[in-house]
Amino acid sequence: MIKIPIRVMIVDDEEDFVEMLSLRLEEVGERMTKAYNGMQCLNLLEEKDHDVVILDIKMPGMDGIETLREIKKRFPLVEVIMLTGHGTTETAVEGMKLGAYDYLMKPADFEELQEKLHGARQKKEEQEERIRKAEARLLLRKSGDI
Amino acid sequence: MDEIRLLLVDDEISFLNPIAKRLKKRGYIAELATSGEEALSALEKRAADVVVLDVKMPGMNGIETLQQIKSKYPDTEVILLTGQASTQDGVEGIKSGAFDYLTKPIELEHLIGKIRQAYDKILHKEEKRKEAEFRSRLEQQMIATERLASLGTLATGVAHEINNPLAIIKESAGYMALLLTKKEMADFSHRKQFELAIGKIETAIERARRITHKLLGFVKKNESVFSEVNLRELIDETVQLVYREAANKDIEIVHNTGDQPFVIRSDPYQLRQVLINLLTNAIHATGSMGNITLSLEAANGMVVLTVKDTGVGIPRENLEKIFEPFFSTKSPGQGTGLGLFVTHNIIKKLGGTIDVESTVGKGTTFKIRLPEYYEMKPGISETDQENWFAKLKMNL
Ligand SMILES: Nc1ncnc2c1ncn2[C@@H]1O[C@H](COP(=O)(O)OP(=O)(O)O)[C@@H](O)[C@H]1O
Ligand SMILES: [Mg+2]
Repeated sequence: MIKIPIRVMIVDDEEDFVEMLSLRLEEVGERMTKAYNGMQCLNLLEEKDHDVVILDIKMPGMDGIETLREIKKRFPLVEVIMLTGHGTTETAVEGMKLGAYDYLMKPADFEELQEKLHGARQKKEEQEERIRKAEARLLLRKSGDI
Repeated sequence: MDEIRLLLVDDEISFLNPIAKRLKKRGYIAELATSGEEALSALEKRAADVVVLDVKMPGMNGIETLQQIKSKYPDTEVILLTGQASTQDGVEGIKSGAFDYLTKPIELEHLIGKIRQAYDKILHKEEKRKEAEFRSRLEQQMIATERLASLGTLATGVAHEINNPLAIIKESAGYMALLLTKKEMADFSHRKQFELAIGKIETAIERARRITHKLLGFVKKNESVFSEVNLRELIDETVQLVYREAANKDIEIVHNTGDQPFVIRSDPYQLRQVLINLLTNAIHATGSMGNITLSLEAANGMVVLTVKDTGVGIPRENLEKIFEPFFSTKSPGQGTGLGLFVTHNIIKKLGGTIDVESTVGKGTTFKIRLPEYYEMKPGISETDQENWFAKLKMNL
């Protein structure tokens, strides 16, 4: 079975963390993009399609919640998994209300992270599938009108 | 009226007796002494609030007696009686610490007035002393709470900061472990050793993670779920969780919880955490054949939950430290020093108090008081201070 890589962007101001998690996820077959702040994340999303963003909540400058809001506004189909430090679980819950797929507590369990990545990608694909079908119906109706 | 302890000293018994009699009619009972020496030995047997002292006496004179009284009993007030011609003695006496002087012949009303004034001064001083004591105790308690609070902030800050490097270590170790599983690593000669080492890193990370998570656990606000909690059931359930550990050490867990349901409105998960912490501590401290007794009582709007063990006890010098984060007398694998810290914070958050009493070699009792009904308030600092006040006032 051929694995289709998940296109993942990891956003965290901890550079070493970004680097190691990317290496590790690449090693299990995902395609990684690295970003070190919210702004960079948004710019990179603009440049290339992604399935899932792993987003640290606590970052200097534009924080995780702000970034999440922007992502959901501009790239509504991209799924977001929040990484929380401590005392930020509430923020994570707030994030989920804003449309994040799920959250994980740092340091996160790798298996759990992988499960969530797959879940997020699947959700995105299903959503895309529904959109395709809706578009097809729309097209059909339009052509029927003629 | 408070009973004023009064001592009259004069060498002339013919002067003493009638005055004592008249004072008695007015409700003032006085002891009598006919010399300075006698006065001092009377004071030794029974302290006096006010001494009325004749200056002119054979043997030890009034001024000398006064000086001795003041040096031995600084709280005792002395009123001097001087002859008409020797008011100088009175002034001298005041310099030596007398409250005031009266000139003979004295008028009863004058004397009573003076005695009352002297006694008021004593009461006033006493009040001041109590107030100062209260304030200094309060300050000490405040320092202790503040210290605990700032230690808490510090500890959570540290835990938070440690989580980040911990995440990096974890990812790095995980990455290496992953690489080791690759085909080209199959005949790498040191593979087993690498796996062993990485395994150790991972266990250690897990341990550190548990500590930081536990430490930070109580910070989560608004995550409490309040509901009706049947304390008796909660106790039974929780005991099940630690039952094995106790049984292994031949420790008997006694339920002294009656058969009434004790239902309060609180957070069952946090309360279970508290019970687990107290029970594991008790089990650690108690030797084989010991007892751990759990009891429940209700007392005007509060429920009192007691965990009593027959363990090693806590030395006095440790009693004020056990609630601090990271204070532990156990070996690193066994204790983190966070159990009581977290417990204290939970109880505080649930509107209760926790107290400890302990005798080394006999055992330890933790007493938790919880309100039967409590809705969580945001912020606890103010009620906290009020609680300290209430508690202190009761202790005085
Ligand atoms: N029931 C008890 N009997 C004797 N000592 C106790 C008891 N409970 C707590 N202690 C003392 O208080 C310390 C702190 O307890 P705790 O905060 O639970 O941390 P830990 O159990 O991890 O050491 C313990 O190390 C022990 O010295
Ligand atoms: Mg403990």
